[in-house]
Amino acid sequence: MTAPPLQFELPEHMAAKKIISRLGNKIDFQIVSEQYAIKTFYDSLDWRLYSADILCELNQSKTASYISLIDRNSGECLALENLKEVPRFSSQFKNGSLKTLLDSLLGIRALLPLCQLPHQVYQINILNQDQKTIVRIRLEEYEGLDGRISLQPLKGYEKEFDRVSMLFEKSFELTPTTCSILNNALKLQGRRAKDYNSKLAIKLDPELRADKASKVIYRALLKAIKTNEAGTIADIDTEFLHDFRVAVRRTRAGLSQIKHVFPDSVVAQHAGFFSWLGQITGATRDLDVYLLNYKQYITALPDSLHDDIAPLYAFLKQKKKQEQTELANHLKSQKYIKRLLEWEQYLKEALPEKGCSNAANLTIKELADQRLWKVYKRLIKEAEEITEDSKAESLHALRKTCKKLRYLMEFFQSLYPDDEIKTLIKALKGFQDVLGNIQDVDVQATSLKKFSEEMMVNKVQSNTFLAMGVLVQNLETMRCAARKDFAKQFSLFNQEENRTIFKSLFAPQVDIKKP
Amino acid sequence: MKIIALYNIKGGVGKTATAVNLAYLAAQSGYRTLVWDLDPQGASSYYFRVKPKVKGGSKELIAGERELDNLIKATDFENLDLLPADFSFRNLDLVLDARKKPTQRLKKLLQPLSDSYDFIFLDCPPNISLLSEAIFESSDVLLSPIIPTTLSLRTLEQLKKFIKESKLKDLQLIPFFSMADRRKNMHKEIMETLSEKHPDMLQTAIPYASDIERMGLERMPLGGYTNKSRSTEAYQALWQEILDIIKLL
Repeated sequence: MTAPPLQFELPEHMAAKKIISRLGNKIDFQIVSEQYAIKTFYDSLDWRLYSADILCELNQSKTASYISLIDRNSGECLALENLKEVPRFSSQFKNGSLKTLLDSLLGIRALLPLCQLPHQVYQINILNQDQKTIVRIRLEEYEGLDGRISLQPLKGYEKEFDRVSMLFEKSFELTPTTCSILNNALKLQGRRAKDYNSKLAIKLDPELRADKASKVIYRALLKAIKTNEAGTIADIDTEFLHDFRVAVRRTRAGLSQIKHVFPDSVVAQHAGFFSWLGQITGATRDLDVYLLNYKQYITALPDSLHDDIAPLYAFLKQKKKQEQTELANHLKSQKYIKRLLEWEQYLKEALPEKGCSNAANLTIKELADQRLWKVYKRLIKEAEEITEDSKAESLHALRKTCKKLRYLMEFFQSLYPDDEIKTLIKALKGFQDVLGNIQDVDVQATSLKKFSEEMMVNKVQSNTFLAMGVLVQNLETMRCAARKDFAKQFSLFNQEENRTIFKSLFAPQVDIKKP
Repeated sequence: MKIIALYNIKGGVGKTATAVNLAYLAAQSGYRTLVWDLDPQGASSYYFRVKPKVKGGSKELIAGERELDNLIKATDFENLDLLPADFSFRNLDLVLDARKKPTQRLKKLLQPLSDSYDFIFLDCPPNISLLSEAIFESSDVLLSPIIPTTLSLRTLEQLKKFIKESKLKDLQLIPFFSMADRRKNMHKEIMETLSEKHPDMLQTAIPYASDIERMGLERMPLGGYTNKSRSTEAYQALWQEILDIIKLL
């Protein structure tokens, strides 16, 4: 019913009062209200709303407080709800179009305030001869940012709207803008939109010396660790810890897989730290996974057991709280701060004129080719050795090799043709999923057994254990299905087309000898 | 989308005031609301300060040559739009009569608006004609203001008989007392006897009040210039009663 507004950015020298007084000579209008208000923009850490071209803003004044979702390009209001405080998760909103839209975009990510903009807002109605409103105007005067004026067209008064907007363009020499005030505010903070993404996007110069390029990679990973650190400590949403752990794991994989570019003593000094970080964050992440999967557990159970499983949820919640406190203490400890600082310092230091080894002196492209080809061949060898009777350990080892190859491909993605490397990463991801499923359900079943022992001490009723037994059984069924799927998924990954791309991208070029 | 027609064979019973004030209340609570001023006198258009003019007049409108959506005007109130009247609406009967299936015509015209509005209020002219039949066919609710006089009893019974004979099964008739003056003994007595005879009559009566009459001077719904009065409370209560019935439809 409402058409999008037309927005103008006011030049620095043009105060709201000046506009209003000049408007008085040209057109009949009425000031409906003038009040102090605060506009706060919200998004997830990884900009899920902004990436979908949506802005989420909370507007608060003495008389009203509402949250709205706005199309970033057209300015159209997509959903609006009166609300005093913004809940952290979309699931906590009232049912309605706003919740539906947020649910689909945010998923499990929390809404966080991006910036808060205090301003003076004037609501003005432009009137016709009958004193009927034909255009609504919102004039916003910010502290430290240029003001904004937005003209809201009203249905059935399009011609009048054109006349009023022409007046602003001609008399006040304003040009319409589609750029949100958010972008200006971010600039003032020294930030820019979409400045964090959990996907790695490292641009490497293929000719760069391998040790120098490695530092570029580690610096990007360190940035991800630091970006997610505070949210992990505060437990804002489960993705902070997840991304934190991924960055840690990638760093570990780098240190073991981008071999010999740094002196062994350096690697030994820091690898231990990242391995420790992996350990202290593991338990909390496992519990996050159980809690995230809890709904699925319930659905997999017969209705009659739904109430019986509830104590498991309470137990998981309680355990997560304990583990989280411990994890937060670790990340606030002197040890953590000191070791991370040492790593950061090392990455900042200039490298010697000559690299510490042959590998360090190669170009990054040469080293990437070598490492990727070697790990790929090892992966194929390990996978081909898997039979129906293979033990869980062999599958686990294969999964680890897959991860190493995946991380290396992601580090070095910019060195290869985009389409081809993406095809390979996608294929590998599919294969990793089946290996992940096998191991995840295995770990979950073992944990459930361990939890049940702990819960017994808390005198939980026997029906709960019965329900948990059914869950373990369900997990076993899922494991069998995933295990059966292995051969099919491997042959998909190992198909001729992928093998050719792997070979053409990474295999050493054979010199054709001249006759 | 629910269509509520404000209808009575008699004029001057408070149809327009009710349409405008209930539509205002619906819009205030977030429902996307439209008022269609079907009365050539254009009283509801006047209350919303919108010119009573429709491009192409009744002929092009009924012929479907112009989409209703393009004729709609925003009012000064959030969520509340108006389809204005036109003097040519005095001929709506004749125009309808010239068409095939005249009584289905309004329903067909309103259909495309079903995604845009939650409520459409039809402010109908006072008479019983082909247009009234077309209104009955298209509406979910026939909201009929009744002034507590002896003649009104006859009118209400006539209307009930007509609805029954026309087999309008999907139409819910909701009568209520309008312009009730509690100082007049006759009003009081009739309201008591009529309520007994017609238990479908709503509990809330809209009073005869000067603040409602002032709508003509203020040119806006009551809620636009009065915060709280006996009249605003009566409209609130009436709207709540109607919503409760609509929820059951």
